[in-house]
Amino acid sequence: MGLKMIIVKNLKRTYVMGKVEVHALKGVSVNIEKGEFVGIMGPSGSGKSTLLHQLGLLDTPTSGEIMIAGVDVIGLSEHEKTIFRLNQLGYVFQEYAILPELTAVENVYLPSMMIGKKRELYLKTSIDILETVGLGERLYHRPHELSGGEQQRVAVARALVNKPKILFADEPCANLDTESSKHILELFRKLNEELGQTILMVSHEEWHKKYVDRIIYLKDGLIEKM
Amino acid sequence: MFKNLKVSFFLACKSIKRGNIGTTILTVMIMSLIFVNLIFLPSIVNGIGETIIQQSIDTIYGNIVIEPKENNLYIDNVDNIQKKLNKLPGVVGTSARYVTGATFTHKSKFVSGAVHSMNPTDEEAVTIFHKGLIAGEYLSKEDTDEILLGVEITGKEGVEGEEADLGGVTVGDKITITFSNGVIRAYRLKGIFDISVMSINSYAFITEKEMESVLGLENKASEILVTLSQRGSEEEFKKKFIELGISENIKTWQEKLVGVMESILGSFSLITFISTIISLIMAVVVIFIIIYINTVNKRKQIGILKAIGINQKVIIHSYVMQALFYCFSGIVIGSILLWFLVSYMAANPISFPMGDVSPLIEQQLIVTSIVSLIIVSLVAGFIPSWKTARENILKAIWG
Ligand SMILES: Nc1ncnc2c1ncn2[C@@H]1O[C@H](COP(=O)(O)OP(=O)(O)OP(=O)(O)O)[C@@H](O)[C@H]1O
Ligand SMILES: [Mg+2]
Repeated sequence: MGLKMIIVKNLKRTYVMGKVEVHALKGVSVNIEKGEFVGIMGPSGSGKSTLLHQLGLLDTPTSGEIMIAGVDVIGLSEHEKTIFRLNQLGYVFQEYAILPELTAVENVYLPSMMIGKKRELYLKTSIDILETVGLGERLYHRPHELSGGEQQRVAVARALVNKPKILFADEPCANLDTESSKHILELFRKLNEELGQTILMVSHEEWHKKYVDRIIYLKDGLIEKM
Repeated sequence: MFKNLKVSFFLACKSIKRGNIGTTILTVMIMSLIFVNLIFLPSIVNGIGETIIQQSIDTIYGNIVIEPKENNLYIDNVDNIQKKLNKLPGVVGTSARYVTGATFTHKSKFVSGAVHSMNPTDEEAVTIFHKGLIAGEYLSKEDTDEILLGVEITGKEGVEGEEADLGGVTVGDKITITFSNGVIRAYRLKGIFDISVMSINSYAFITEKEMESVLGLENKASEILVTLSQRGSEEEFKKKFIELGISENIKTWQEKLVGVMESILGSFSLITFISTIISLIMAVVVIFIIIYINTVNKRKQIGILKAIGINQKVIIHSYVMQALFYCFSGIVIGSILLWFLVSYMAANPISFPMGDVSPLIEQQLIVTSIVSLIIVSLVAGFIPSWKTARENILKAIWG
């Protein structure tokens, strides 16, 4: 079998809101291998986003263990987590979370600039990736000059620019029409098959199932089936 | 570190370039006015000080004034002293004067004051009275029955002043002087001077020759004024004078003016201090509000930046750089405004009782203003961005 990319053991996340405790994750254990394209599905409020946030180091779990690429990420400091996210992880959010003041290509190369790559290098990589996601003609457009689907593809390109070990996507197609959704999903499929990109994607839609290798079903903060 | 600053700079540039132009222009304008305000009032006060100094040098003291030894009424051997001093390179001129109390009378009017003597050619090299004539002529060396009066003594015709004056005597009128030693003589008013400073305009001059005949003295003086080619070397020359063997009381204008300047400028210093503090507080508030609104509006973007791995410090620095941009642009525009303002006022000075005043900007003042504005901008840019940037990522992105 392949290498373990993510190992999760008995992961719990409890939100405390005043006197009320919300148990969003009640003990999730799961392994994800390198090169897998995994879908996370389940009813609303089942903890899908919460799980993704814990694995993506955007939040700190209440208890449990997470190993990513052999690193015990729970033990990292905030600063180390930031560096880990920059170098190893990529994110695509539900909204097209790109910066309105930057052009498509600037949005894409920002993380690359941040790790200190040379300008010629990151410029070329970014243009290549934008061409891969089909935006070769939109390099210098600002977000407000792009459609929702195009903006989401810029977000995908940005997530990929530092060649992350894992790509996290939380309902990346939620705000897109079917045509654009297909475009994104096919892009993910292609990245997964051609580059062996490990992808974790939260989704609602039944028809998305056919794009992923396997599905983790969540219900009430627990894994219902895999 | 350097690459972090590069990213901060990149984000700051794009934010200014592609952000709201109106806000940027407005902010820079306010900052430039604050800068003008920081410099302007203190420089007017400096200008007032400068006017007092220059007027005093030009009329009362010269650069250095030599006075009689303690317990002596007069300086002895004046010709000799003047000769010695005039030989020194850097000494432009010396003028020996007698000063004595006097009462000026014309018809029923009379004014009490002092009368000075002058050697007209010597005095011309040292003071500016000859430039301030508004009627008649300057004294000549051999004049004996002629007098030069300031406009405060003559008074102006038709203007009934509260102050005592001679009610508007004109050139040619007879003025009777009662000297403090009891001698009474009549003089013809030869010239009237007005040099914009009230106290100086109540000076009166007769020739040295005449004064010596009145007092029955010779080769003495109450004071010797010395003019140097350059201001600033008074202490140095004072030492040279002592080395030349001058044992009289030697005072520089600085020593003479210390008390006056302190009392006049001291009252201004509180006003300028308050104005400076208010300006700086305004700068803090403006920068703080602009950066605060900016960061609050971009809360979600800041969350996203952090999520994709942009260091919190990079984000904070990008806002601090924006604050510095507003600050520096304000300083540049403010300097241009100041330049116009100062040029205008140099050509059109304001009239103060102590003379015409135009702003005098000192280098020290510019440096302190720039430094304090930069510090203020750094702090006011840092606090709001730090507060927003350290917020939890998920909260920032999803509320
Ligand atoms: N910051 C929070 N504070 C308190 N409770 C939270 C917070 N975030 C999520 N929850 C709760 O945790 C549970 C799981 O939320 P989560 O967002 O993971 O659901 P989800 O499966 O992603 O749902 P959806 O499909 O609607 O996005 C929900 O009951 C939610 O109300
Ligand atoms: Mg969700």
